Amino acid sequence: MTDPTPLQAAALLAVQTTFVLAVAPLLLGVTKQVKARLQYRRGPSIWQPYRDLRKWWRKSAVESDDASFLTRWVPVAVIASIVAASALLPLVSVWAPLPGAGDLLVVIGLLALARFLLALGALDSGSAFGGMGASRDVAIACLVEPGLVLALAVAVAAAGSTDVGAISREAIASGPAWLTPPLLLAAAAFALVAIAETGHEPVDNPDTHLELTMIHEGMLLEASGRRLALLMAASEVRLIVVVGLFAAAFVPFGAATDLSAAGIAIGVIFALAKLLAAAVLLGLLDATLPKLRILALPGLLGVASVLGLTAIATRLWIGA
Amino acid sequence: MRSRLDTAAFPAFLASMAFVFGSANAFAFLFAWEVMALTSAVLVFGPRPDAGVARAGYTYLALTHLATAAIAVAFAILASSAGSLAFADFPAAAARLSGPVRDVVFVLLVVGFGTKAGIVPLHVWLPRAHPVAPSPVSAVMSGVMIKAGVFGIVLFGIDILGPGPAWWGVAILALGAVSAVLGVLYALAEHDLKRLLAYHSIENIGIILLGLGVAALGRSVENELLVLLGLGAALFHVLNHALFKGLLFLGAGAVQGAAGTRDLNRLGGLARAMPVTALAFGVGAAAISGLPPLNGFASEWLTFQALLSTGGQTSLDPLVRFAGYAAIGALALTAALAVACFVKATGMTFLARPRGPGAADATEAPGPMRAGMVALAIGCIVVGLVGTPVGAFIGRAAWSALAGSGSGIPLGGPPPLPALGDYTPLLVAALLSVGAAIASALLAYRSATVRRSPTWTCGIAPEASFEYTATSFSKPLRLFFRPVFRPNTALRVERHPGTPFPSRIEYESAVDHVIESRVYDPLHRVSVRLSQAARRFQQGTLQLYVAYVVVAVVVLLIVAR
Repeated sequence: MTDPTPLQAAALLAVQTTFVLAVAPLLLGVTKQVKARLQYRRGPSIWQPYRDLRKWWRKSAVESDDASFLTRWVPVAVIASIVAASALLPLVSVWAPLPGAGDLLVVIGLLALARFLLALGALDSGSAFGGMGASRDVAIACLVEPGLVLALAVAVAAAGSTDVGAISREAIASGPAWLTPPLLLAAAAFALVAIAETGHEPVDNPDTHLELTMIHEGMLLEASGRRLALLMAASEVRLIVVVGLFAAAFVPFGAATDLSAAGIAIGVIFALAKLLAAAVLLGLLDATLPKLRILALPGLLGVASVLGLTAIATRLWIGA
Repeated sequence: MRSRLDTAAFPAFLASMAFVFGSANAFAFLFAWEVMALTSAVLVFGPRPDAGVARAGYTYLALTHLATAAIAVAFAILASSAGSLAFADFPAAAARLSGPVRDVVFVLLVVGFGTKAGIVPLHVWLPRAHPVAPSPVSAVMSGVMIKAGVFGIVLFGIDILGPGPAWWGVAILALGAVSAVLGVLYALAEHDLKRLLAYHSIENIGIILLGLGVAALGRSVENELLVLLGLGAALFHVLNHALFKGLLFLGAGAVQGAAGTRDLNRLGGLARAMPVTALAFGVGAAAISGLPPLNGFASEWLTFQALLSTGGQTSLDPLVRFAGYAAIGALALTAALAVACFVKATGMTFLARPRGPGAADATEAPGPMRAGMVALAIGCIVVGLVGTPVGAFIGRAAWSALAGSGSGIPLGGPPPLPALGDYTPLLVAALLSVGAAIASALLAYRSATVRRSPTWTCGIAPEASFEYTATSFSKPLRLFFRPVFRPNTALRVERHPGTPFPSRIEYESAVDHVIESRVYDPLHRVSVRLSQAARRFQQGTLQLYVAYVVVAVVVLLIVAR
């Protein structure tokens, strides 16, 4: 595994970003299709999210009388931060396309930046539903983030680095021995909070039509036209970032270790397979689990932090 | 500034802070420390304090003197062992002290300097004193004065006392974690903009203490790289906190001046009247929330790195390493809560419709005030973009100044901080700008005009009262953290006679500050009772006082015979 040259890194950035933007709507389509099938419906085609984006792209936007300059800039800044986060992750190979730009803490920081901007944008039009969505979204993030960081800390401790690419390389170098009991516990913790971070049942319902139960959708209620298209695309890419972070830190197996065209092609196929598996799982959850009361969430998501700490304690005292 | 007394006290306050940082012996230090406490108290009281202000001022005076007393006792122990008041003789004297005495000195120093820094549970003065002082004074108190406490902990706790047992480091970590989490939680429940910022000072002091805890742990196992990482993270955050908190306090002052209130539930919509203030405040809010690529993220990133290195430090006891990891969880929780709190503070102040009459008539702050805020906002951005090298430089400069030539770590030049990963803010910023440029070009490309229309409120004309307020925004978090807040809520509904329809709904929610109600209030009652008992001796007659003197002299003569 030799580190990529600048030219290879640039090619990797182009391939990976194209892959991320191209695949993101498909994952939402797959999740919805799985959910529909489990509910004995035919459901929309898996290509429907692409059609939605095209539809919004052609529409003109409506903006609230009360909105400030923020409403215009939030969609732009939100998608920029989420796509930037994806560029810091090693998704198709074991190298992040921009070596040295940022580690997993920066990825989490960029996701938080997107959330901060999106929540402010939701407050801008003065709609009660926007406020409700923003308030719940930032509150749930407070339950998610400790679990996320503690779970990743286990992988960091095992690899001796916060660089996601370095963690992937260490994992592939150690093979199945990478999956120690603490690491599996940490992976479980991550998976638990990832459901909340990507806005799926039992935390949020991505296709609810009832404003009172909306979280993420509530923040998008006042967006329209191309701005809505950008925000939806951002939330679809967010799923890739979260799943990609999980894959790179816990199960990087299959990612390209050489940067030949064939190696990258295999890496893309494995990445797609992992993402589709995650999309199917989320569809299963959406179809089978009821949405929890918001007051029950600390109990559910707090488990992730406890699991993370347990994994760390196991590592420190029992070893491995 | 409100009066001639204030005008005189402010420069004296600034000078005394300079003397605190420049003193080389215990007497000069304590003198400057006390002048700093008294001049800042004058600024808190102001010329004509009302009952609330006086209460805040006396709380501040009482606690700041508790701090001075603790520091004075610690200095006395060190000075009597050294036989001199010069700080230069203290390290050798500290090394001669027995273990338990050094522990006592450490605790006294942490209590003394920690009170000034505002760590929980010694923080109660801070959220009272900061909001009542004028905004520029709040900015300096929060940006500089409380850092004198951090300075004391670094100089005495980490350097002069020398390598201590591991529990010193763990204690600093624990105090830091508790201060950070409770500070931001109380900020969330607050809807007075300046008091919210004051609680955030407690949070940020907590984050700084996490770095200092790592430095103390590095000292305990003589690991210089860990000391460097911890000190770099902590002192970098000191700089960043001064930048963004100064900016936010100035912004709060501008808002109060324009809208006549600091109550978030009566503000709103100021972004249109005050775009420059809104933008600068927004930059400060993103910086304090620890969002890349601004300066707050750079130092929080270093703090995370320092804690992760502590966790991976095999020379430390597993229990100590576990404390390092637990602190990571606390820091992640703090960062997420800070985002929630500043979405609330920024959104409720500047966005949507004004919730009260003052906010509706606001106009932009005057030029010099805007210039101050813009300068600090640029500072937040520039320091953020330079990033961790600033922290590395500060950490190394501090450590080589403290440990002298013995540190073996050269100032400047490689190697950089021994972090476990890389963060290059310029690259991240470039990535963000390219993405934003492409996205906005796509938005603009042959786009149809944007139509403006009222916000959809299910068919009725939108009103400010439909909006979320600061209180409603923080409701989910107040519910999640109910065991901390112990909220007292009351809901009163009056109905139109004979119908189920409400004519008036009142909702009240108050947070119980447990430390105040369970620790300080009982202490307060006891001390008042003791003082009242002591008043029996003070009858105001000269003869009685002469009699006391005679009795005292006789007793002294008998005892000293």
